[in-house]
Amino acid sequence: MKQRLTALILLCTLLTGCAATDKGEQPLTATVLAMDTVMNFTFYGDGMGEEQLRQALSGAEDTLRQLDAALTAQGAEGEAAALNAADGGWTAVPQSGALLQQTLELAELTGGALDPTAYAAVKAWGFADGNYTVPNREELDALKAAIDYTRVEVSQDGAQARLAPGQQLDFGATAKGYAGDLLRRQLEQGGITSALLDLGQSSIAAVGSKPDGSPWRIGIQDPAADSGVYLGVLELSGRSMGTSGSYQRYFDRDSVRYCHIIDPATASPARSGLAGVTVVADSCLLCDGLSTALFVMGLEEGVRFWRENSALEFDVIFVTDAGEIFVTSGLKDSFTLADGETREVQVLE
Amino acid sequence: MSRGVKAIMAALVLILAGSAAFLLLRPKSEGHVARISLDGQVVEEIDLSRVETPYTLTIDGPGGFSNTITVEKGRICVSKAGCPDQICVHQGYISDGTTPIVCLPNKLIIEIIGGGSGLDAATG
Amino acid sequence: MVQLALLTAIALTIFMAEAQLPPLVPIQGVKLGLANIVTVYAVFVLGPGDALLILCARVFLGAVFSGQMMTLLYSAGGGLLAWAVMAGLSRILTVKQLWLASPLAAVFHNLGQLLVAAGVMKSWAVMAFLPWLLISGVVTGLFTGLCAQFLIARLERISRGKDPGTKED
Repeated sequence: MKQRLTALILLCTLLTGCAATDKGEQPLTATVLAMDTVMNFTFYGDGMGEEQLRQALSGAEDTLRQLDAALTAQGAEGEAAALNAADGGWTAVPQSGALLQQTLELAELTGGALDPTAYAAVKAWGFADGNYTVPNREELDALKAAIDYTRVEVSQDGAQARLAPGQQLDFGATAKGYAGDLLRRQLEQGGITSALLDLGQSSIAAVGSKPDGSPWRIGIQDPAADSGVYLGVLELSGRSMGTSGSYQRYFDRDSVRYCHIIDPATASPARSGLAGVTVVADSCLLCDGLSTALFVMGLEEGVRFWRENSALEFDVIFVTDAGEIFVTSGLKDSFTLADGETREVQVLE
Repeated sequence: MSRGVKAIMAALVLILAGSAAFLLLRPKSEGHVARISLDGQVVEEIDLSRVETPYTLTIDGPGGFSNTITVEKGRICVSKAGCPDQICVHQGYISDGTTPIVCLPNKLIIEIIGGGSGLDAATG
Repeated sequence: MVQLALLTAIALTIFMAEAQLPPLVPIQGVKLGLANIVTVYAVFVLGPGDALLILCARVFLGAVFSGQMMTLLYSAGGGLLAWAVMAGLSRILTVKQLWLASPLAAVFHNLGQLLVAAGVMKSWAVMAFLPWLLISGVVTGLFTGLCAQFLIARLERISRGKDPGTKED
């Protein structure tokens, strides 16, 4: 009897001992400041030690900083800045060449709703440096003429590019998405099986699901409410999402609100009747670019675009200025309204 | 040793190991919303991660006295209370959902629950 | 009758002594339940009925002396649940296995207390303390059980005159 008792006690101790050593997966979280925004990363590695996770994290941070410096339109070493300063001359684009081409392709796909050369207007309205102004009619006409993605040329080998004289370009609409895809691939190759990359809230990329298999839960900001108030939750597994909204950056002048998303056709802040657009797809770049484009297009045109481009395999959440919520059919099961939300979700087929 | 005795011994070992394992293995809860309830009714929910400057709030409970609650970024505690035992005050701050603060005489419970709806990130 | 009174007194004393200890969990009135050992002993030696009498007497007097109503509720809730389990177990175990019954009784005693607390607070939040109470139940129950078992064995030997300490002259 004594032996059995001892055995039992030993077993007990062993069990708790084991329990103590294997505390289960602990995530590594980090906050990174890059691309003019605050980014939050959460990593889990399958059986990876903390050291390895840290390496993966610092690797990601390095890539991000490098990209940021290379892509920026504002720093001296940025390729966008070089393009802009070259005033029509050929410029080397070793780091941003791929991104430039993909952005131009998206511009063509969206019929110009996304246009990287709209940067000229972004600057004119003051969104680049904070000196908000409302340009006059002549300035706007000049801007409208300058905004034209079709006049951007890329050399055959993709190593050089040039703008038309008078044009200004930046990667604001697609840089974060590009970074998201790059980081995701990097992490997957490094053995990370579960991660959430929050690149400034407007772009979010997921590697897999959470370690326990459940999807990441992303709150969807209600454009009409205070920051932090969500109208619903989106479940994300292994995909990406991008959000564009009039509530993100704007200024008010003479009781008119001007948001930072420029409609290339008018060279002015887009007024399409939409307050927020969230795109969900595999590619973070696609999400980033399309969210801007669809915001500019408005609900009707945006839905038409979605129906005509089902090959791209993306889905959208539209929130109108009036507060109506539309969700494309692919998100039917992964989007749920927040508790206490009285609005209805209208599903688009 | 009869079967009954063995069964009881096994049950006790299980209870002991199970509780210990639960306490040790339980994943650190990610919650950061403090839910304050009085007599079973939720009176306040505070997202502790969004608190910038600390503040206090006072709640009068059915026990006939009040609890003063101090809310800070990421944590919350009962700083003053009119109850005789002061157990709630001695407990100090809580910052995760492991244990709640309970003031029995005033039927007050402060517990930290998962971010309102357990969000991992949010669009902005 | 004398036995009942004696046991009640013992239970009460343990109870009052235990009240001086620092609280186990931050809920006012939740006790270690050391006095439960008396209930366990009584169930096995005197039978469930008498044990219940002792329990009720102890709970009531304990509340009167300590002056807190909450204490009465907890002792009652915990004590009754433990007693019920012991009454059921008295078919399987004997007083020789007191050391085994005690931790089980303690576990149910604590569970009972927590259930009472949940009822009073109208919230399940207090159940967060269950793991700690379960562990303490097993540990303290085992401790008091072994002490009691040892004490009983000693008393038996004395009553049979086999205590080596008995002086002949």
